[in-house]
Amino acid sequence: MPPKYHIHTSRAENRFQKITKSGVIAWDEGCLKCARCVKKDCVYKVYEKRGIDTRQMLESLDSVCMDCFRCVQGCPNKLIQKGINPSYKELGDHYWTAEIISGLWYQAEAGRIPVSGGGYGGAFSGPGFDAMWTDMSEIVRPTRDGIHGREYISTTVDIGRKVMALEFDQAGALVNDPPPNVEIPQPIIFDLLPWSPPGKGINLAMLEGARSLGTFAIVRQSEFSPEMEEYLPNIVLYVDGNVSDISPKILRKLRLIEIPYGKDSIAAQKKLKEEHPGLVTIIRMELTPDSSGNVSRLIAEGAEAIHLVADEYGLEKSDKPLFIKERMREIHLHLVDKGVRDRITLIAGGGIAMAEHVAKLIICGADMLSVDIPLLVAMECRVCRRCKDGISCPVELETIDHLWGASRIRNLMAGWHNQLLEILGAMGIREVRRLRGEMGRAMFFENLEKDIFSTLGKRG
Amino acid sequence: MDQKGLGITRAILFCRQLDPNQDANRRAIEREMGARIRFFPLPCSGRVDPLYLMRALESGADKVYLITCPEGACRYREGNLRAKKRIAYAKSLIEEIGLEPERFELILTSAGNHKTIDEITRDILAREES
Repeated sequence: MPPKYHIHTSRAENRFQKITKSGVIAWDEGCLKCARCVKKDCVYKVYEKRGIDTRQMLESLDSVCMDCFRCVQGCPNKLIQKGINPSYKELGDHYWTAEIISGLWYQAEAGRIPVSGGGYGGAFSGPGFDAMWTDMSEIVRPTRDGIHGREYISTTVDIGRKVMALEFDQAGALVNDPPPNVEIPQPIIFDLLPWSPPGKGINLAMLEGARSLGTFAIVRQSEFSPEMEEYLPNIVLYVDGNVSDISPKILRKLRLIEIPYGKDSIAAQKKLKEEHPGLVTIIRMELTPDSSGNVSRLIAEGAEAIHLVADEYGLEKSDKPLFIKERMREIHLHLVDKGVRDRITLIAGGGIAMAEHVAKLIICGADMLSVDIPLLVAMECRVCRRCKDGISCPVELETIDHLWGASRIRNLMAGWHNQLLEILGAMGIREVRRLRGEMGRAMFFENLEKDIFSTLGKRG
Repeated sequence: MDQKGLGITRAILFCRQLDPNQDANRRAIEREMGARIRFFPLPCSGRVDPLYLMRALESGADKVYLITCPEGACRYREGNLRAKKRIAYAKSLIEEIGLEPERFELILTSAGNHKTIDEITRDILAREES
């Protein structure tokens, strides 16, 4: 058995103070000047360590406070209060919520799974991925120690076309060479960012992160620069210009290349394969209501891997867009019906915000996923989209050190990987490849609602 | 903060209760003025400490404005009254070291006047120019 895939984490401190859920409001006026002030009794020394970050005009008070409420309860004149921080409420938007963003920050900083300690206090169903539950019926058996210790759960996936059966000639030699495949140790690659401040630090951090995790980052051909050359074995080059403009030296070092979907994408793939037979080509297409037809046609024409991309909210391109998990289920089941699902690799991306989304989308039929915005959030992005409007970034992302960024990305991915192992363990599944399309091991809110309530109110 | 050839750099600290949509409203003016202006939303203007104001000067701002809710309209009852006292104290401090007390200014919005944060800022800038 190959050695266990393990991501080494190390704490990577925030550059800016994080926006906390609650804030301390302490008046000085009216202070009774007690002999022993409650502020001195703080076990975390919050008031002693107090300082201001002038870049944000934020006090350290809130980020150091651990919400024990000892000072709030102890002050005899009730001068200390805690309130919900309005900046926290305003973080992100309806999809990239403050809870998601602060959870990602925590994982990127500490490399650990966020644990609330108070149980799950939220709703049991919601839109998108929240309308889906996975079957954790095996949760009693593989213990946590087992998952991270003696038990072996594989998260490896392959990118490339698969042969359904090996053919041999009379002499016992293989008739056809198996097509090239690229194996990655966890089912996640890094996608092109929908928006980001300028600066090479961000790209280099993603590449360094990808290299240390053994996965890949997609880089536009137009944005490729000489300093990225050392990362070529971990780059998926997205061809946004002419293939002929890519130097053979670069092509030789690449293992994966991505081309846009179009009429001649298969022709382009063939041309690339003639010169570099070892290269695996991915065809990138927007997720649309026609995707299942387009994918099955591409499979028939010889595509190796297809990258289906939804927008940053996980919606396909259409007037009445379907959420990515619904569309992936439809595509997967269509390919299963045609008997061609196992021939290729499907990569899905867009709207992947949490670790559970990885497992859920794989259950809905994706082989692996591409992640974008969470990588920026790992580097402290606040999803304010100011960079999109040409306004300066509040956390100065353009000035990051790429090694710091890479360690934040590594920490986040370690958290996600551990959560994927937890889900696989709880479902009793030993490898992520077998999770793909396991819709029977999940419940979908819409289906349950239909099963239970559709007969109500009907006569006869 | 970058001041080279960009004119005066202003720090605008404001009570975010003033404008519920402050984040979107201030983007246009942020884009226009770039590094010449910085906004700092506060949960309540009473949260400001004289030290905040001094630090804003220290980090390069030439003028610091503190915009508060109308008197009597503070969500925390008397945050804006406390802000008023603190800015007066901060003014006395900088005066002592020989700086003009006008570098700190309190802008008290008037009751019933529902201006957005960018409108208030533009008023301030127009007043400065005149």
